[in-house]
Amino acid sequence: MSDRKAELEKKKAKLQAIREQKERLRKEKEKKDGDEAISRGINVEKDQGKEIDEMLSSLGVAPVSDVLSSLTTSPNKSELYNSMSTPDSSVKGSLPQTPLTCPKLNKKNRELSIVSLSSTNIPPKEVECYTKAVQTTHSSNERDAQAFGYYDEYNLNPGLEWEDEFTVLTYDDGSGQAEDEDISLTNLSTFQSKLPPGILSQGLPQVKEVAPAVTSLERELNVKEEPKKIRELSEAEKMMIVHSEDFQQFMDRAGRVMERALSENVDIYTDYTGALDDNDLNEDKSSTRLSLTRVFHDEHWSKNRLVTSLDWSQQFPELTVASYNNSDAPHEPDGVVLVWNTKFKKNSPEYMFHCQSRVLSATFARFHPNLILGSTYSGQIVLWDNRAQKKTPIQRTPLSNTAHTHPVYCIQVVGTQNAHNLISISTDGRLCCWSLDMLTQPVERLDLTVKQSRPVSVSAFAFLHDDVNKFVFGSQEGAAYSACRHTKKAGVVESYESHIGPITAIDTHCVEGNTDFSNLFLTSSFDWTIKLWNIKESKPIHSFENNNDYVSGVAWSPVHPAVFAAIDINGHLDLWNLNNNTESPTASTVLDNSPLLKSLMWSQNGTHLSVGDEYGKISVFQVGEQMTQPRHDDWSKLSNTLQELKSNQTDEMDRCINYSSGSVSSVFSRSSSILMK
Amino acid sequence: MASEVEDTLKRIQSYRGVIGTIVVNNEGIPIKSTLDNSTSVQYAGLIQQLADKARSVVRDLDPSNDLMFLRMRTKKHEIMVAPDKDFIMIVIQNPTEAQS
Repeated sequence: MSDRKAELEKKKAKLQAIREQKERLRKEKEKKDGDEAISRGINVEKDQGKEIDEMLSSLGVAPVSDVLSSLTTSPNKSELYNSMSTPDSSVKGSLPQTPLTCPKLNKKNRELSIVSLSSTNIPPKEVECYTKAVQTTHSSNERDAQAFGYYDEYNLNPGLEWEDEFTVLTYDDGSGQAEDEDISLTNLSTFQSKLPPGILSQGLPQVKEVAPAVTSLERELNVKEEPKKIRELSEAEKMMIVHSEDFQQFMDRAGRVMERALSENVDIYTDYTGALDDNDLNEDKSSTRLSLTRVFHDEHWSKNRLVTSLDWSQQFPELTVASYNNSDAPHEPDGVVLVWNTKFKKNSPEYMFHCQSRVLSATFARFHPNLILGSTYSGQIVLWDNRAQKKTPIQRTPLSNTAHTHPVYCIQVVGTQNAHNLISISTDGRLCCWSLDMLTQPVERLDLTVKQSRPVSVSAFAFLHDDVNKFVFGSQEGAAYSACRHTKKAGVVESYESHIGPITAIDTHCVEGNTDFSNLFLTSSFDWTIKLWNIKESKPIHSFENNNDYVSGVAWSPVHPAVFAAIDINGHLDLWNLNNNTESPTASTVLDNSPLLKSLMWSQNGTHLSVGDEYGKISVFQVGEQMTQPRHDDWSKLSNTLQELKSNQTDEMDRCINYSSGSVSSVFSRSSSILMK
Repeated sequence: MASEVEDTLKRIQSYRGVIGTIVVNNEGIPIKSTLDNSTSVQYAGLIQQLADKARSVVRDLDPSNDLMFLRMRTKKHEIMVAPDKDFIMIVIQNPTEAQS
């Protein structure tokens, strides 16, 4: 037990010794913290240290002096001190304060750690720090950073005195001393409240001015980046687009516009100060009475197809519709209708339509600008619409005994805007009247017969001017007839027999004037003649026997009362002016290659003549001024001419009766009539 | 139907003085062209931007208005642009050649 006690005693003593040693170590460290520069303590304590060292070494611990020396020699001892120092001092050291400049504030900051944060974001404090001296010595460089300069403010407001400025400055000084942020802010606000409102707001937009500059820069960057994004489409994607409905429609529209733009190409930079052009040529052209201006021809659709008819649109006079016969080419539709534009110098048709049967005649539906009507060899009447994307007819009449079963050469829309009908006549003499709203069956029907109900094979017909009831028609037998639609005796009224060949065309006089000539009509025939008739007389007024082949078409001028045009199958286009000459045409031309001409049409204003030939070409001729601008006496002149023709006729009849005596007088009358002109 | 597209392009190309025809979609990517690829891509991208700008100018001046056609006469060429909702047709031609 005593041993045990002694052992305990010993241990206690050792513990005591260790405690003492620890205390000493701590004291030493505290001393070193106090002033490290002075190493006096170390020398003094070295003696004591020896004792400790001995004790430590006995315990197997490194001597204190070694540790201390290692501490002093270490290069980053300050760090070690900091780590060993109290938390208070570490806070003090880590604070980014400026204790040297204002120790008073530093003390307070220790108490309120929040203030240290708020002190970082008070820009006005910079203003507050200025002294008067600083302001005067520093030039305006520092002021530029401000939203507004005092001097600017002074210039803007001359009412402000120098004293005002000084008060402002003293306020600034005061705010510089003020420790509370709120006070400085209120100072600022009071300072600003002194300014006029206009100036106060001026300070703020400066921030805004900077912002757009950044965004615009960004925009520029975006624009620069955009072109790089363009990628190329694959072939499949391109095909997808090309086959889409939208693309097809776009190409249709844009192609049409582009072709017009290209064909209307006029070099607006023509320089007239340069060399003379061959303008003389143009002057020569205008003197001739018939000059070729345009040729409409489509390599694919109209080649080698006979042009069977021509018509112009009432709404758009520049549009011409032409119907074409079948061609030898296989796998092509028999009937083709093309719409040409005379206004734009483009070479392709505006619209193309086709149908299964040969189109013998086509016409614009007079009061519907989008509709085109065609009569076919099969007897069907077909209707196309240029608004629809399809090229085949949108409507067609039935092939039944209630309608036509024979070829229809004649169609025409008659009537007014509110009440109009389509009239069609087939070669079996059946006349049908249709409403355009309903093509399933005719509104009315009439069979044209002569001499004990023998049907007439009608080849051409024409309504009298401004008449929806009375019309004349020519037959393949050679006789012409007049007929009515609505009287009690509806049907053929009178016959006009003089031609000895089938009648190819018939046209009624349509120029209004101070004398009414609407009773006149012209017929052309395979018997090489053109005959002028009065509807009230069964004998022709005159027979024009200038042509040397089948005469295939005749048409009155729409503007000049005494002018008509005629074509034959040898490519001759003749222009007659009855007031000028009744024996030979006033103007005549032969088309290249002398093609068979079938269709003839005047333009609405009578200045152009369109002629269609067997090769599918439509030639447009300009008519000389003399023929397009009638003088006011042309009507009375035509009356005189007709009188003379009649007298000639009676003379000739006389001559026929008493051949020997009449010959001299007829020659005399003819020469006198020529002399009179 | 696709042959009609080709026909239209062929017809336009057959006009005297026409150098090239490009059809571009609204992103400025060429779909059909008679010019070589790099030229088409260049024209397509630039003209598409120009047409867009021209359209916005027209619409800014009068919101009820719209761009229909753009014709640019340059020293060497004449560039004709027919913009549409989804596509743009560009035709480049030599006006002096077309005139004579």
